[in-house]
Amino acid sequence: MRIDYKLNDKFDLSLFSAALILIVMGLMGIYSSTQNTPHVMLNFEKQLFSLGVGMAGLIIIYFLPLNFFKVISLPTYAVSIFLLVVVLLIGKTVGGAKSWIGLGIFSFQPVELAKFASVLALAHYLSKPNINLDNLKDIFITLAIGLGPVPLILLEPDMGSSFVFFGFVLIILFWRGLSVFGIYVVISPVIIAISSLLGTWYFVGGAIIVLALLFYFKKDLFTSGAIMGLNLSTGFFVDYLYNFLSPHQQKRIASFIDPMSDPLGAGYNSIQAQVAIGSGGLFGKGFLNGNQTQLQYIPEQWTDFIFCVIGEEFGFIGSVLLVFLFIVLFTRILKTAVVAKDDFFGIVLVGIFSIYFIHFIINIGMTIGILPIIGIPLPFVSYGGSSLLINLAMLGLVLNVYKSRII
Amino acid sequence: MNNGRLFSVVVLTFLMFIALIIRLFNIQIVRGDEFSFYAQRQQMNVEMVQPERGLIFDRNDNLLVYNRNDVSFYVDTRMAKKRDRKAIAEKFASFFNKDVSYYENLIKKGSKIVCIEKKVFHERIVELKNLKVNGLFYKDEPTRIYQYENLASHILGYVNTKYSGVDGIESYFDKVLKGEEGRRIILRDAKGETVTINQENQKPATSGKNIQLTIDKEIQAALDEELAKGKNLYKATSFVGIVMDPGNGNILALSVADNFNPNKYNEFSDTVRRNQALTDTYEPGSTFKAVTLASFLDKGVCKESDRVFLENGNYRFKKILIKDSHASSWMDVRGVFSNSSNIGMSKLSQHIENEDLYIYLRGFGLGNYTYINLPSEVRGTLKKPENWTEYSKSSISYGYEISVTPIQMATVYSAIVNGGILYQPTVVKKILNNDGSLYREFEPKEIRRVISEETSERMKKLFFEVVDKGTGKKAKINGINIGGKTGTSRQIVEGSYSREKYNSSFIGFFPVENPKYLVFVLANSPTQHAYYGGDVAAPVFRNISERIINLDPKLELKSELDHDLKLVSVTEFQTSLDSINGKRHLSVIRTKNNIRQTNKWIMPDLRGLSIRDAVFEMTKRKIQYTLKGNGRITEQSIPPGTKLKKGIVCRLSCDQGELFGARLY
Repeated sequence: MRIDYKLNDKFDLSLFSAALILIVMGLMGIYSSTQNTPHVMLNFEKQLFSLGVGMAGLIIIYFLPLNFFKVISLPTYAVSIFLLVVVLLIGKTVGGAKSWIGLGIFSFQPVELAKFASVLALAHYLSKPNINLDNLKDIFITLAIGLGPVPLILLEPDMGSSFVFFGFVLIILFWRGLSVFGIYVVISPVIIAISSLLGTWYFVGGAIIVLALLFYFKKDLFTSGAIMGLNLSTGFFVDYLYNFLSPHQQKRIASFIDPMSDPLGAGYNSIQAQVAIGSGGLFGKGFLNGNQTQLQYIPEQWTDFIFCVIGEEFGFIGSVLLVFLFIVLFTRILKTAVVAKDDFFGIVLVGIFSIYFIHFIINIGMTIGILPIIGIPLPFVSYGGSSLLINLAMLGLVLNVYKSRII
Repeated sequence: MNNGRLFSVVVLTFLMFIALIIRLFNIQIVRGDEFSFYAQRQQMNVEMVQPERGLIFDRNDNLLVYNRNDVSFYVDTRMAKKRDRKAIAEKFASFFNKDVSYYENLIKKGSKIVCIEKKVFHERIVELKNLKVNGLFYKDEPTRIYQYENLASHILGYVNTKYSGVDGIESYFDKVLKGEEGRRIILRDAKGETVTINQENQKPATSGKNIQLTIDKEIQAALDEELAKGKNLYKATSFVGIVMDPGNGNILALSVADNFNPNKYNEFSDTVRRNQALTDTYEPGSTFKAVTLASFLDKGVCKESDRVFLENGNYRFKKILIKDSHASSWMDVRGVFSNSSNIGMSKLSQHIENEDLYIYLRGFGLGNYTYINLPSEVRGTLKKPENWTEYSKSSISYGYEISVTPIQMATVYSAIVNGGILYQPTVVKKILNNDGSLYREFEPKEIRRVISEETSERMKKLFFEVVDKGTGKKAKINGINIGGKTGTSRQIVEGSYSREKYNSSFIGFFPVENPKYLVFVLANSPTQHAYYGGDVAAPVFRNISERIINLDPKLELKSELDHDLKLVSVTEFQTSLDSINGKRHLSVIRTKNNIRQTNKWIMPDLRGLSIRDAVFEMTKRKIQYTLKGNGRITEQSIPPGTKLKKGIVCRLSCDQGELFGARLY
C-alpha cells in the first residue's frame, strides 16, 4: 500500500509545463514584435494581465467538481449563442470583422467561448447512452449542435473560426465511432465545398467522386437522395458564401492557390512570413534581432503571424521546439481523454484537443505556406486575451479531468 | 474504448507534425540562404556614399578649389497632397523670401519630382532639413568652389554637373581627385523608411587626394591681370602668358586672356575655355632665332664675333626675297641676334647641315609633346629633313615653316637659359593623401641635355644684349638684369601670310646671372598702338616681371633699384599698401587688401567643421590660413573669440574622422 502522493498523480505537470513554455515563447514573440511599434507597445503588458486572469481561472476550474461542467454545458452553449447574436448587433469592428464586444478598456471575442461551449454541448449530447451514429438523424443533430454557431460567425464574418468548428465536429464524430458511411456523409460536402472553390472543373470532378461513392455504399433511395441533395446544396451554398465573402478574403483564397500571383497584395503576407522564417536558418537571428520582424514586414505579427517571430529569431531549433511542445500538449490531452472518468469528459477532451490542434495546424500551416492564410491565432502563443483566457480555462479542465482519471 | 479510432487520430496527428517539420526543414535549412537573400534584398539598401573631391592648393598652400556642402530640395508631386504642398510652399516662402505662389506653381507645374530649391548652402537649411512633410526630400549636392573665380582657370579647369573634371587639372587628375565611392547599408522597414544604418559591411568613402600645384597664386594673379590689361590696350584677340621656373620646369603661372570663371563655366564659350597655351600652335618668328642660334653655337658653325653681310635689308636667297625691318650692311652675330635680322639668320643657317639642325630641334622637343600634366596638348609641326625644301632651313632659322605651342617655347627657352637641360614642364608639385601624407611628389624631370652649359652661358649674354640695346629694350627693368627675345610673325590667313594679323611675342627671363623666372608672353593679333613683339609683348612682360620681383623678397636686386621696389617683403608689402599708389601692385592687393575690412570680425570657432566649411567661414572673414591634414578641423592656432588683426594667419590642423550620418529621403 502506497499512500505517498506524487505531484504527478494529481497534476499533469508535463502538460502544464509545455503550455507554460509555449506562453513564455509567445510573450517573447509579442515583446519582440511590438517593441518598435508605438501603438501596440502595451500589448506585452496586456498579455501578461490576461495571463494572470487566465491562470486564476485555470486554478479555479482545476478545483471545481467535474459534474459542474455537465450541468453548465447547455446553459453555456445558450449564452455563447446569445453573445454571438449580441456581437452582431453591438460589436466592435476590428480588421473588417465585427467580432468584439467591448467591456470598458477590455474587449472580448465571443467566438472563443463559443468553441468551448459547443464542445461541451456536443459532449453532452453524444454522451447520452442511446445515441447511434449510424443513424442519419443523430448525425444531423450532432452537426446542428456543433455547427450551430457557424452561420452567426460567418456573418461577422470570421472564416477562420468557422473552419475550427467544422474541424472539431468532424474529429469528435470520428472519435465517437462514426461509420465509414457516416464519415462519407460528413466529409463529402467538404470535398464539394473545396472543389467548388477551386473552379468549375474541380467541382464537376468532386461531384463525380461523391456520386460514385454513393453508388458504392448502395444505400436506399431516400438516403442517397438526401445525401445528394445535401451535397448539391453545399456546393451552391459555398458558391453563395464565396460571393458573400469580403474581397480580401476571396483574394486570400485565390492567393493560396498561387501566392506569387499577387506578391504585394494578398500573397504578400504568405511570402513575407516564409521569408521571415526561412531567413532564420538553423539557429535564428537571436532575440530582438529578426530584421523581418523588427522592420515590420509582416503586419500584426503579434497575433496570427507570431510563429514568424519565433522562426526568424530562434531559427529551426526554436520552431522545432515549439512544435515539440505542442506534440507534448496533444499527446497528454489524448492520453487523459482515454482515461477520462466517463464518456462526457472523454469527448470534451477530444474536443479541446481538436480546438488546439486545428488552430495549431492551420496557423503554422498558413505561416509556412502549406495552407491558405486563414486568420486564426496560435494557442497560448499569439497575442489575444479572449483566446488565452479560454485556452487556459480549457487547460484547467483537462488538468481537472486528469486529476480524477480512472487509474 | 475505441482504440482503433484513437490510433487513427494519433497517426494522423503525427503525420501532420511530420509534414510541418519537413516543411520547416525545407524552408529554414534547405532554402534558408535563399530566404535570407530575399530578406536582405528587401530590407537592405546599399547606398553609395560620394567621396569628397580632392582639394587643390597653390605652391604656398593657399586653397584654390574646395567643395561646399549644398543641399537641393525636391518634392515628389505624387506623394505630396494638397495640404502638404501648402505647408512646403509656406515654409520655403518664408525661408527664402519668395512668394508662396511661386513654390505652389513650381510644384503644380512639375510632373513626378520637382526641384524647388537647388544647391542651398547647407548651414542655412538645418531647419528645412528637419521639416517632415510627405513628398519633400533633399539630397546632398556639393558644389565645387573656385574661390578666386577666374584665377588660374585654364590650369584648374572645371567640373561638370556630374562632378567630373572636364578640363585642366580637374580633368587630367580626375581619377586622383575623385576618390573612391563608399558604400553603406541602410535597413528599410516595410514602409520604406530608413530605420538604422548597418555598421557592418560598410565602407566609408575615400576622399579624393589633394593636389598641390606649382602655381603661385600671387604670380598667377599678376599674370592674369597684366595679360588682361595688355589685351585691352592692344585690342588683341588673345594673350597667352606663362611664368616658369627654368631650373626645374615648374609652371608658376599660366594664363590666357580672356580667362573664365570655372564656377560659371557654362557662361563662357569653348574658345575662351580652351587653354591656348597648349592647344594652339603658331609660327614663332623671331623668338625662334634663339633656338636656331643656340644650335649653331653649340654645333660650332659660328661664333658671336663672326661678321655677316646683311645685304642692306633685301636678300634674294635663290628665288625668294628675305627682308629685314631695319636695313644694315655688316654686323656680327651679336648684332644679328639683338636686331633680329632674318637675313643674318638665313645666311648663318647655310653653315649647318639639315640633319644637324633637325637633331637640335628634336632635342629641344619640338614637334613633340612636352608631356605637361594638363590635357589636350598638341605637338606642333616640325618636318623631317627629307621633306625639307631648299628654303626650309633658312625659313626655320628665323622661325617660319615650323609651328609650336606657347608651352613648347617656354620649355625650350628654359632649356637654353638653364644650362642646356630640357625639363618636362609640370603644374603639379605634389599629390597628398587625405591624411596629409605625401602620395606622390613631382620631382623635376630632366629629359635630356640639348646644348652645353657653355652654349647656354653664351646665349644668356646674347639675350641680355637684346634687352639692353636691341629689340627688347622695352622689357628692361632697373635693378635687375633681364634677358629675352622678341618675336613678330605674320599669321597665315586663308593660306597666305597676312599683313594685318601678327603674333607678337616676347620671351624673357631674370636674373640673367642665375635665371629664376622665365616669362613667356604672346599677343595674338594686336590691332592697336603696335604690333611688333618688342612693342606689344615686351612691355607686358615688364609689367609682369616687376610684379614678380615685388613678390619675391629673395631676388637679389642691384643697388640702383627704385626705392618703392626695394626688398619689400610680401607681408610688409601688404601693410604698406595704403601708402603706395603704384598701379602695378594692384593685383597683389586684390587678393589680400580686403583684410582691412576684417578688423571688426571675431575669430570663429572652427573646430569640428569640415575643411570646406571652415574655409568658407574664413574666406568670408578674409582670414589667411594654412591647412594641415584633411577631414575635420581639430585645432586652430587663433583661439575663437580673438579679435582679428590684419594679415593674421591661422594655422588649422585637421583630422580624418569617420562620419556616418543617416540621409533620409
